[in-house]
Amino acid sequence: MIKVLFFGPVADRVGSSMLQAEHRLGMSLQTLRDELAAQYPQAFDIVCLAAVNGEHVRDMSQVLADNSEVAFMAKFSGG
Amino acid sequence: MREPVRIQQEDFSQDEEITALKASSKRIGGIATFIGCARDFSEGRDVIQISFEAYGSMALAEMKKLRSEAIERFGLLDARIVHRVTTVKAGDNIVFIAAGAEHRAAAFDACRWMIDELKQRVPIWKKEITPQGDAWVTPHP
Repeated sequence: MIKVLFFGPVADRVGSSMLQAEHRLGMSLQTLRDELAAQYPQAFDIVCLAAVNGEHVRDMSQVLADNSEVAFMAKFSGG
Repeated sequence: MREPVRIQQEDFSQDEEITALKASSKRIGGIATFIGCARDFSEGRDVIQISFEAYGSMALAEMKKLRSEAIERFGLLDARIVHRVTTVKAGDNIVFIAAGAEHRAAAFDACRWMIDELKQRVPIWKKEITPQGDAWVTPHP
């Protein structure tokens, strides 16, 4: 399984801060994003950043290992 | 001595942070600080409170990387970053950044760089609570 985290404005639009996604061999970050965006289009309208296991990821073709922690995030507004 | 990089609910004391920074080296000749605090207005609306949410483990790790990079990049002797994640009201402190260097130019440059990078890289979000309702902040470019 893949643990998917949402925060702030994205969590509000998803209606949850965490969900589990089925892991499949060779599954990329982009594939996971596309699948979730189809389920939660309003939330993914504002998603512009992703992290895997707490690290920023810019290459959406990155293949996800089982038990990864993935976050799809809106632009930050701290400070 | 408290950790130089922290996320916390409670307020910070800039005097305590500067004392800790100074204690790290007697070679420090200049300290630049930045304090971000809560405004009571935003885009024409009154703001009663601001509520913060963070991806805690990643935010702390990114802030630690940011401090290390600033020390390396600007030749700092020490640096400190503290961000509150809680609900604050107008005038309350939000974030503290301090850069200590042998000379002022590096301290000023590093302090500015750290707050600018923090806003880009650290996963923290703010929600403004106004009389018209709550709204997550959409950052300016």
